[in-house]
Amino acid sequence: MTRHDKSLTVELSDTAGTFSLHEICERGGCHAEFVIKLVNYGVIAPVEETTESRQWQFDLQTLARLRKAMRLQRDLKMNLPGLAMSLELLDEVQDMRRELDRLHRQLEQFMEKP
Amino acid sequence: MDFKDYYAVLGVSESASPEEIKKAYRKLARKYHPDVSKEEKADEKFKDVGEAYEVLKDPEKRAEYDQLRKYGAKGDGSFDPPPGWQSASGFGGGGYTEADARQFSDFFEEIFGGGRGAAEGFGGFGGRRQSMRMRGEDVHSRLALFLEEAYQGCDKQVSFNVQEVNDQGQLVQRRKTLNVKIPAGMKEGQHIRLKGQGAPGIGGGDAGDLFIEVEYAPHPHFTVEGQDILVTVPVTPWEAALGATITVPTVTSKVSLKVPKGSSGGRKLRLRGKGLPGKHPGDQIVVLQIVMPDRHSEKAEELYKELAEEEKQFNPRSKLHV
Repeated sequence: MTRHDKSLTVELSDTAGTFSLHEICERGGCHAEFVIKLVNYGVIAPVEETTESRQWQFDLQTLARLRKAMRLQRDLKMNLPGLAMSLELLDEVQDMRRELDRLHRQLEQFMEKP
Repeated sequence: MDFKDYYAVLGVSESASPEEIKKAYRKLARKYHPDVSKEEKADEKFKDVGEAYEVLKDPEKRAEYDQLRKYGAKGDGSFDPPPGWQSASGFGGGGYTEADARQFSDFFEEIFGGGRGAAEGFGGFGGRRQSMRMRGEDVHSRLALFLEEAYQGCDKQVSFNVQEVNDQGQLVQRRKTLNVKIPAGMKEGQHIRLKGQGAPGIGGGDAGDLFIEVEYAPHPHFTVEGQDILVTVPVTPWEAALGATITVPTVTSKVSLKVPKGSSGGRKLRLRGKGLPGKHPGDQIVVLQIVMPDRHSEKAEELYKELAEEEKQFNPRSKLHV
């Protein structure tokens, strides 16, 4: 059963909102222990690194990364060191793909006759 | 309904051992994982692989499937389960894949049931549902922007499905459409949060949020590097040699640019503040490309010969030691 709503205009209030440790766990559907481990492995980082985890704040990108880490762990049964390395390599691959794509397009522009 | 050949999905033979099936599944799960793969329809393939493994890893389900496979092999790819068919194994969920049967195909549901039934069984919370308070699910989606839209900001329509519990206590999908005001200067990979625009909460719980990740659609002329916008601009050899004031495009208009005398092809010229807007706006970087006319007049050729004579001491290949 599907019903459609009316379109609703939304203004962006905060593009830079942050989450506490409790909030990010709630959003990500995971335990604080898992988030702390990911921070210790350098997979994710709070906005400002403090030793007191209760004061940690995480940004939106970190939530997306946490969710990705959870999907990879769930679907591919990875342990934490493997997860940390995979995410780093995936970041690198993504950066390289973007760079390659950009360079390809630049090269095409450079080669094409005006 | 189409018949799903789970053996073909995993690329194993009918007689494959459980180890072979597990190995094939693991390999394909890595290959098609939506967070890893850039293949088209990776998401779909990943789900197919998960579904195939869910059936073939379980000896009971596999035996049932094998029976049906013989029955269902009609040759035209279509399939109808035998009348009165009921799975003995059913769908338990969980297991190695921690599979969510809601993700599985109609074919799976027809044979093993359980999937969507379990989801609808949400109403089974019965009386407790009233007192249960749960935050609605967050929704994550992507939004592709043209560079012009990212540069200037824009209004975009975003549509997505949210799950909610209807009056009968069933979990249903609802299509939601929002008009979102995208601020100027959103970068690729940046996330936006729209508070309370995800799935509604249950029992008075807060609604979830909508998260949008911004992507850029490729632009025919401009590329983006961080905050900077790059564009390749053709110039004539005489503009490059003598210097010139030329008109170059920016994302939203055009500006005059002074090409310095003696510029080589590939030289980069910077237009300050013409990159992506933001706290620290980027620059537009113009890359010069020296182009020749398709043909020269006789007089032009004579002039080139004169030029060649005049500049004959210049060796552009000196770095190549030739």
